[in-house]
Amino acid sequence: MRTPRRFSFGLQTCSGLYLWAAFIITFGIWKPDLFLTSATVHSIASSQAIAAMLALALLIPLTAGVYDLSVGAVINVSTILVVEMQTKYHHGMWTAIVVSILVCSAIGAFSGFIVVKLKVNSFVATLGMATIVSAIQLIISDQSQPLPPNSPAWTSLTQKTVFGFQIVVVYLLVLAIIVWWVLDRTPVGRYLYAIGGSPEAARLSGVAVGRWSWLSLIASSTIAGTAGVFYASLSGPSLTYGQALLLPAFAAVFLGSTQLKPGRANTWGTLLAVFVLATGVQGLQFVTGVLWLNSMFNGVALIAAVSFAVWRQGRPAKAHRERSTDIEHQPTDDAVERDRLAASGASTHQAQPG
Amino acid sequence: METQLRTSTEPIPYREPTALAVRGVSKTFTGTAALTSFDLTIAAGEVHALVGENGSGKSTVIKILSGYHQPDPGGEVLVRERPLDFGSPDASYSHGCRFVHQDLGLIDASSVADNLAIVAGFPCRLGTVRRKELRSGARRDLARVGLDIDPDRLVATLSPAERTGVAVARALHEDPSHPVALLVLDEPTATLPDREVERLLGIVRAVAARGVGVLYVTHRLDEVFQIADTITVLRDGHRVANLPACDVDRAGLITLLIGSELDDVHAVSAELPPEHDAPLLVAEGIEALHINGVSLEIRPGDVVGIAGITGSGRESLLSVFFGAQRRTAGRVIVQGALLPSGHPARAMKAGVAYIPADRKTLGCFVDLTTEENVSISDLRRLWRWPRLSHKRERAEVSKWIERLDIRPGAAAAMPLSALSGGNQQKVLFAKWLRRTPKLLLMDEPTQGVDVGAKADLHLEILRAARDGAGVAISSSDTDELAALCHRILVLRDGRVVAHLTGSRVTAAEISRACLATDERSGT
Ligand SMILES: Nc1ncnc2c1ncn2[C@@H]1O[C@H](COP(=O)(O)OP(=O)(O)OP(=O)(O)O)[C@@H](O)[C@H]1O
Ligand SMILES: [Mg+2]
Repeated sequence: MRTPRRFSFGLQTCSGLYLWAAFIITFGIWKPDLFLTSATVHSIASSQAIAAMLALALLIPLTAGVYDLSVGAVINVSTILVVEMQTKYHHGMWTAIVVSILVCSAIGAFSGFIVVKLKVNSFVATLGMATIVSAIQLIISDQSQPLPPNSPAWTSLTQKTVFGFQIVVVYLLVLAIIVWWVLDRTPVGRYLYAIGGSPEAARLSGVAVGRWSWLSLIASSTIAGTAGVFYASLSGPSLTYGQALLLPAFAAVFLGSTQLKPGRANTWGTLLAVFVLATGVQGLQFVTGVLWLNSMFNGVALIAAVSFAVWRQGRPAKAHRERSTDIEHQPTDDAVERDRLAASGASTHQAQPG
Repeated sequence: METQLRTSTEPIPYREPTALAVRGVSKTFTGTAALTSFDLTIAAGEVHALVGENGSGKSTVIKILSGYHQPDPGGEVLVRERPLDFGSPDASYSHGCRFVHQDLGLIDASSVADNLAIVAGFPCRLGTVRRKELRSGARRDLARVGLDIDPDRLVATLSPAERTGVAVARALHEDPSHPVALLVLDEPTATLPDREVERLLGIVRAVAARGVGVLYVTHRLDEVFQIADTITVLRDGHRVANLPACDVDRAGLITLLIGSELDDVHAVSAELPPEHDAPLLVAEGIEALHINGVSLEIRPGDVVGIAGITGSGRESLLSVFFGAQRRTAGRVIVQGALLPSGHPARAMKAGVAYIPADRKTLGCFVDLTTEENVSISDLRRLWRWPRLSHKRERAEVSKWIERLDIRPGAAAAMPLSALSGGNQQKVLFAKWLRRTPKLLLMDEPTQGVDVGAKADLHLEILRAARDGAGVAISSSDTDELAALCHRILVLRDGRVVAHLTGSRVTAAEISRACLATDERSGT
């Protein structure tokens, strides 16, 4: 999109950054000895790395308006597969990794086939795929959690530390840069956003809608598969974590679409969302240790942040003029109004005017 | 659309002095003023035309009235002398304001009956929609504007003229608790052929005769003189004139509109004889939905017009050539290459450009920026490993913004939804002309574009033809066809029924040919 040359740090685009700062200051004052430590920073960074990768996986098809609900199941099957291949079938580590990721790409290719060739709605197709993949996972794992491989190479794959961070954080950064580059700096990104804007208009502009939607699903599954391998190395095999990560990942993408480039799902916004939420949760956990905190906080934050963005952008000219120096990052009244109209549906006394 | 005009002639109610009074209303978008201290008064029963160049603020006025935009603080709006709350579509409705928006605002995937009921509310008993009542209510609403459509049909299956009809019927829906005080139409005739325009004007007159104030926005100046009692002219958000329609003529109005005189009769392409080169486009025996065997050849420098009434196939022929719509039989050959059916990317590769009639859903991406809308047609030339060169993109788009006079000048980084309708249309021209296509297919190319800009776009089309491109234009605007084309194909029931060339290419002749064939087969 519009490459920002003048970047504005207005509340409208960067509320997440301010919120993040607020969390750090609040918990820093509240629990300085616990919260303001490099250990906390490192632990938040690596504990969220996998969730962030999954959010980036979702992001790619979502820019084209394609939902991939199967990534939760895919990341999980990848974890189980990569472990079983090493412990049960005694393949080498790299063989296991490559095969697991390829299997996940194949799953994505199959979802893409259903969406593009059979023209099934992506929501339905990937929901079905998710269920099938969980079934496959049951077959592979035989319902028992496999033992983790105990080679040092396997654990150091993600747990080696660089500058105090586990190396998985570096992987996340590399992945984010690649995703950002593809979405923001290559024609592919333009095609995906165009398809997301209007598939039919994209087709009439010569964009290969089917091909890019298909590839976006392959990309999401491949990234999820890779993240699954990292998870296995980082935390050991688990039979159920994938589904639990799915909805928070969606939440991060949606929340991220109100950040940095409001109105558009984007890479850095997504990452920002993941880490702001994680910081809040971590801080609160130092204050109180209750179990329900994580979900409650994430849910409340998602709804609050998105409503805030809508309210902020929906306000009339007055709100805009305060920041009228920066035209480039103002989402228009129209875009938000349209969302509002869409949300209030048939009850409004007018549909969208031209 | 064959039925006679049937407008209910109820007794004229007591006359109210003013239907609408707008005083000192302004609207500012991100620092730019779209409307400055605007005043407008419409008496009951008056038809008031609001005209102005693209981006002068007409739609902004309407969106303020409809509660879609909140104006800057300070102004006031009275409807039948009752002050109107801003920013509330409900208040606007209950004050009796009814709207036909530029894009109609119909829901394609719903039935006609549902679309009609969506504004006024569904007839319900115990929370359940009463289908029978819904349908008969819909029939009544449709009959009021002289339409005879099955209320169960999906809006997506209607022709543009029928859609406009449905939108008007919806606006005129009788609601005893909130009687209609003001009817607002934003460019309702942009893609309507002459006959349907006549009908619409008839309906508007009848509505006004019942004491409703009418605010009518159009770029077709002939309509202004046919229907308006009073004219308000906007320029850059300022009211520059407010005068009775009988006090001004067409040339005078144009001067008011653009602030200078315009040579209204612009370059006509008839002087350009098509060269006898190999044809650019050969279409043989094309059959598709609404098309029953059309053959056509276009040579370099040729400008061919496609005319016909609604449903004649005029609306779909060019989209079938391009591959937007599938064909069931026939061959389309562009510069010797056979184009597969339904494959726009291949057509583009062969040098074809296509501007669809439905700008909002097929032509552009309203959420993307102007820049992105323009460059999507060819990103390869902006690609410099490892990235798209934003500098090149900005430079190229700025050049087009200047060349086509797209406003505001800073449009490049704005989302397309922030541009006025006419400027969006110019963006579509930029998107396709930058590819220097060999064959230009255009459906309603200048819809929503003001008189001055229209002449400019026409020159762009003729320039492309002079540079050796072939052009096919399908338009409901017969003046446009007459001004641009060497020859006209008149369609009826998906077949070519007349071929006008040379001195027969006049607006009157085209209309006659469209209608004459209509009557012949109609009886
Ligand atoms: N949401 C928005 N954000 C920023 N600017 C806007 C927005 N909507 C409209 N504008 C600007 O306001 C001005 C008036 O636009 P408006 O749509 O009222 O023009 P118009 O007279 O209806 O033109 P047209 O004949 O082309 O439809 C234009 O310069 C337009 O770019
Ligand atoms: Mg307009």
